[in-house]
Amino acid sequence: MSGPDIVTAPSLDYPTGTPPNEASPRRPHSISSARRAQANLQLLMPYVYVFVLTVAILILDPRLLVGPGALGAFFSLVAPLAFVAFGQTLALLTRGVDLSVGGVISLVTALLATHLNAKGPLIGLEVLAVIAIGVIIGWLNGLMIVLTGMQPFIVTLATWSIADGIAFAVLPIEGGTVSPTLINALSGAILGIPKSVLIVVGLFGLWFVVRRTRFIRDIVAIGSDESRSNLLGVPVRRQKVRAYIACAALAALAGIYLTVQAQSGSPDAGDQFILNSIAAVVLGGASIFGGKGSAASSIVGAIAFLLIPDLVFALGLTSYWSIFFQGFILIVAVTFNSAVQSRARTT
Amino acid sequence: MSDLSGGFRRNSAIVLAFVVAGVLFLFGSIYAVDFASVAHIRTILITASFTGFVGVGQTLCMLTGGIDLSIPSVLAGAALVTANLANGVTSRLTWVIPLVLVAGILVGLLNGLGVAYAGVPPIIMTLGMSGAIQGLLLIYTNGGFASSPPESIVNFVTGDTVGIPNVVLVWAVISAVTIIGLSWAVFGRKLYAVGTNPVAAFLAGINVRRILLVPYAVSGLTAALAGVLLLGFYGQAFTDMGNDFLFSSAIAVAVGGASILGGRGHYVGTIAGAIVLTLITADLDVLSLGTAAVDIAYGIILIAAVYFGGRKLGRRRVAS
Repeated sequence: MSGPDIVTAPSLDYPTGTPPNEASPRRPHSISSARRAQANLQLLMPYVYVFVLTVAILILDPRLLVGPGALGAFFSLVAPLAFVAFGQTLALLTRGVDLSVGGVISLVTALLATHLNAKGPLIGLEVLAVIAIGVIIGWLNGLMIVLTGMQPFIVTLATWSIADGIAFAVLPIEGGTVSPTLINALSGAILGIPKSVLIVVGLFGLWFVVRRTRFIRDIVAIGSDESRSNLLGVPVRRQKVRAYIACAALAALAGIYLTVQAQSGSPDAGDQFILNSIAAVVLGGASIFGGKGSAASSIVGAIAFLLIPDLVFALGLTSYWSIFFQGFILIVAVTFNSAVQSRARTT
Repeated sequence: MSDLSGGFRRNSAIVLAFVVAGVLFLFGSIYAVDFASVAHIRTILITASFTGFVGVGQTLCMLTGGIDLSIPSVLAGAALVTANLANGVTSRLTWVIPLVLVAGILVGLLNGLGVAYAGVPPIIMTLGMSGAIQGLLLIYTNGGFASSPPESIVNFVTGDTVGIPNVVLVWAVISAVTIIGLSWAVFGRKLYAVGTNPVAAFLAGINVRRILLVPYAVSGLTAALAGVLLLGFYGQAFTDMGNDFLFSSAIAVAVGGASILGGRGHYVGTIAGAIVLTLITADLDVLSLGTAAVDIAYGIILIAAVYFGGRKLGRRRVAS
């Protein structure tokens, strides 16, 4: 038989959940320093993307980024995606994926624009309630994944559909009214810095605070080699459930911010965040095979992803082109990412 | 019949899916007077056939452990391009339809190349492809809407031959081809082999990558076909027209007893799954429950079908 060595066939990596030949190359301890340098380089790439896109936009049409209020407006688009990208990074680190973020966001916006829009301090409790809904959906995702062994994309596809259905029952079409207290709390600026910028910077910084925690180190280990982590005493099931809870809770936070930004709710507001969050994480250099990634890089990836529409506008193209480019760039980035990963795994 | 591979004969889930379809039909018939009327049965079969078309590609993809999320975009794209290029002129369909179907195959091949050769997880590859196509469609149609397809295509889709709706006849032919391809052709054997265990398939001398291209190419073709026919059915085309088929195709396959891990399942099950889904929508309609209830029901059914389907597989589990 002529053909490459079995392990080198990348097609063997995905088709059946468990790679049938989980050989040593992926074990954390065997990562050579050269490969670790390559991994770090990938996590730095989103900064390069942002730099290049920013320079291009500044040359073509600087008003898009430096005009009055432009920065705050741009970051108000980044903020919800930054939340989801942070959560999606956690799901991808465990070697999973969370499609239900779309349903969670839609459900949260629908609720906050209809039943949960109190004026005054009561809104605080209502915000806690929608975060709790996110936590419950994430907990159900995690529980079904670890207890039944079903693939994450199937479980979260189902909960996406269920959450979308509930959102649709709550608010069939875009509209509703949002609590003015909530709008005041999240819009505007503090000391001249737009709150949207502070939120994104805060989330970015949060990663450097949490990345050394037991939880993050455990899910990185799980994503690198689940059975080995299990043998080493990592509480695999508990940490995986926590990752999905965190992901859905962050999606709920994104939904809260999105409701304020749109000042209305929509039963399909969340759907675009599925593709966008995965794209942000992939542009951020995280491995789609789990075990490697940085939420901070994913947030920078989100910024790069959302600079694309600005570049399209600066180039004088219709906004439809940005939808094309955003999908196209996900394909290119993920193909590149996979090719690098599968080579790294077999050398 | 002893030659059927991959668990068509062995898979009691397929039988169960047909039983469930029967129960759902009985339930609707008891609740609503004209549920069992010929006209309503025709409607159910026509509606199910569209899920059945896209279900061909989705079955093949899921047999290899993958999934095609670009079906809605390819479907809408085929409808929009057909409506625009034909521009109401019937004679143009002779080149427009083949062109659109080939374009569907090409999109599928791109998905397949990413999955089989670059090793991209199918879910991310096809999601990205879906986004890119949506963008192209919006640019091409300047907003994503096209109306007034040629009369002939509307007449064909809504018409009958010997008392059977044409769409259902098309479905019957495609089903026959798919069943033969999966059960009696060498290709089917190889597909099941790859889906069950790619390493073993590779060692047995199968070109795993080339086999992995086929499901995505077929899925592009069947989604494009569904789009062309749905254009005739709706009398118009719009970018969201395929959205329902994202869930319904995957769920029809899962309800039909296929394993999400690949290697187990059959298009016969998907046929039952498509009918079950259509009957659920019809039953919820009888109970005056709308879109929201359908979405919720789909989610619950997907989990239940995959869970019970997975248990039948014995101990094969996923790492993630």
